[in-house]
Amino acid sequence: MTLESTARRPAVTGARGRRLAGRITLFAVMIVVAVVMLYPFYYMLDNAFRSGNQFTLGAGHSFASWSQLFHDLPVARELLNSTLVCGVAIVIILAVSTTAGFSFAKLRFGGSGVIFLLVVAAMMVPLQAIIIPEYVNLARLGLVNNYFGAILVYAALGTPFATFLMATHYRGISDELIEAAIIDGLGYARTFLRIALPLSIPAMATVAVLQFIQIWDDLLVGLLFLQNPQQRTITVGLAALAAGRTTSIPALLAGSFLSALPAMIVYLIFQRHLIKGLTLGMGK
Amino acid sequence: MSKIALEGVTKEFADGTVAVNSLSLDIGDGELMVLVGPSGCGKTTVLRMVAGLEEVTDGTISIDGEVVNDLDPRHRDIAMVFQSYALYPHLSVYDNMAFSLKYRRAPKDEIRRRVSEAARILELEPYLQRKPRQLSGGQRQRVAMGRAIVRQPRAFLMDEPLSNLDAKLRVQMRAEILKIQQALNVTTVYVTHDQTEAMTLGDRVAVVYQGDLQQVGTPRELYRRPANRFVAGFIGSPAMNFIMAKLVQDPQGSRHEAVFGSHRLALRERTFDDYPPLAQYLGRDVVLGIRPEDLEDASLVAEPDPEAVIELTVELCEDLGSEVDVHCSGDLQQDVSALEEDAPESVAGEPSQRPKVGELVARVNRRTSLREGDTARIRVDLDELHFFDPQTGETIGR
Repeated sequence: MTLESTARRPAVTGARGRRLAGRITLFAVMIVVAVVMLYPFYYMLDNAFRSGNQFTLGAGHSFASWSQLFHDLPVARELLNSTLVCGVAIVIILAVSTTAGFSFAKLRFGGSGVIFLLVVAAMMVPLQAIIIPEYVNLARLGLVNNYFGAILVYAALGTPFATFLMATHYRGISDELIEAAIIDGLGYARTFLRIALPLSIPAMATVAVLQFIQIWDDLLVGLLFLQNPQQRTITVGLAALAAGRTTSIPALLAGSFLSALPAMIVYLIFQRHLIKGLTLGMGK
Repeated sequence: MSKIALEGVTKEFADGTVAVNSLSLDIGDGELMVLVGPSGCGKTTVLRMVAGLEEVTDGTISIDGEVVNDLDPRHRDIAMVFQSYALYPHLSVYDNMAFSLKYRRAPKDEIRRRVSEAARILELEPYLQRKPRQLSGGQRQRVAMGRAIVRQPRAFLMDEPLSNLDAKLRVQMRAEILKIQQALNVTTVYVTHDQTEAMTLGDRVAVVYQGDLQQVGTPRELYRRPANRFVAGFIGSPAMNFIMAKLVQDPQGSRHEAVFGSHRLALRERTFDDYPPLAQYLGRDVVLGIRPEDLEDASLVAEPDPEAVIELTVELCEDLGSEVDVHCSGDLQQDVSALEEDAPESVAGEPSQRPKVGELVARVNRRTSLREGDTARIRVDLDELHFFDPQTGETIGR
């Protein structure tokens, strides 16, 4: 017994040592990644509160960049435009993805498997690959420089992933629950509205947050479809500012910070929902 | 109250699987009909067709004489209790129970009255404002029952409603369901794979196997007069023992015997009077069915008939307290196919019901002194023998 314990001790210490070394390495890697990710943010925040001279000297802070930003850009208008485009696109995405997800998960209809596969396949198509045909189509319909054109593109781009997520969520709801509602006297439409939809609020929140971050931060679609200064979103406005002849870097960084703020706030508030929603169907 | 009639009902799925094969069954007003059978036998499919959740491939289902094959579930006026209870998790107990009435636009006072009444019957009054996740399994089951009761439907359909409960709660809820059904006198179709549940609940029991209806009758009829070897093996716990035996007549023609291995059991003359077709099997093999409870430790029987006693070796004793299940082996030529195919599955919490090949199970008085390895003298109740055709499996003489 004693011999056995003595013999075992170095092995145990060795395993502990290896575990500790593994942890230290992991933490070191995580710290490096965190620094790489956070440093640009720190740089933006630090320099957003400097005047042009302070930026050049690398010392001192002031609100000069902010007054310049508000002077050069209709910030309030652009934030409102971003909110409008984001909000309406998310409403469309939620309306389509919840109904489509419910249909794929709970209704039996011919070819549902193939259609679902096509929807999933649409997730794989990069925006850049379809942006030119999209532009041509919307231009023909007179939807360029029109909120609705950009909203349609955002909705079309966001719906496949949202539908996939919602279908996964609805598959997790027992068939018996839906059948109980049908027997209780509801049709499929009312079963969806009264039973399935209230149960999918966490999944809908995930979809909404993900899409908000994506649409709010997007530049390409806005740049192409919302060129009119009156309709520009905040990212397009910042791009216009950056393209100016005398670009003030601190004003640009102040604008970037302002632009990133809503997405960050939404993420921080809903991060728990987001993780729950994204891990839907994983494990028990 | 209403009558439900199934005529030649068949269900064939898209992949060609025939889940239910031309099943005909009449369920009377206020009757509690239990559909019982092993997993995958088609009993739940029958229930789902009655509910309207599955389309009928062939045949008709009528409720009160009206063919409902093409009627939506919501227009059939039936209530269903699911195995998982299917309670709406985002609604309170009250709202779960009131749900269907609200969507049928019942007056608010009427809804309140009916829910209160059902909650009183089911002792759910303290929990009406709780969400389903805050309830125990038994309470959830009662809410599911309550949701069915408040509807005052033409019929209740219950799909294994007790199978998610532990053994003790299952027995308790079984009695409650029976009381409620008798009090409300609503026609009920109850599906279970548990033969004990079927026997204790059903006014009549329909045994289904591989999509075919095997027998319909009162629990007593199924137990005493099983139509075939499947029913005989499925109903009763532990399962009936099946032995291949030869029916012989002695040279004088004065008595008949069932011979298996080195054992001979003298048959009563009235057995042949009761089952005239048995005479045609003289000199031929039959499957002899003996229920474990019709076997007794001969040492506990006053003056046992020596011609009804067989000697076997005790392999295992399962002491249940009230009685002892003695597994014996001996010179037995058992009907192996019957053991493999038809013996019911073991029910959780109960000892294995499936006798092993070459074994015979006797349920004997708890005063027995038999132990593993003993040579047991087992008395067979000759008035309770069952005979089956070895080819068809049908009971001889029904």
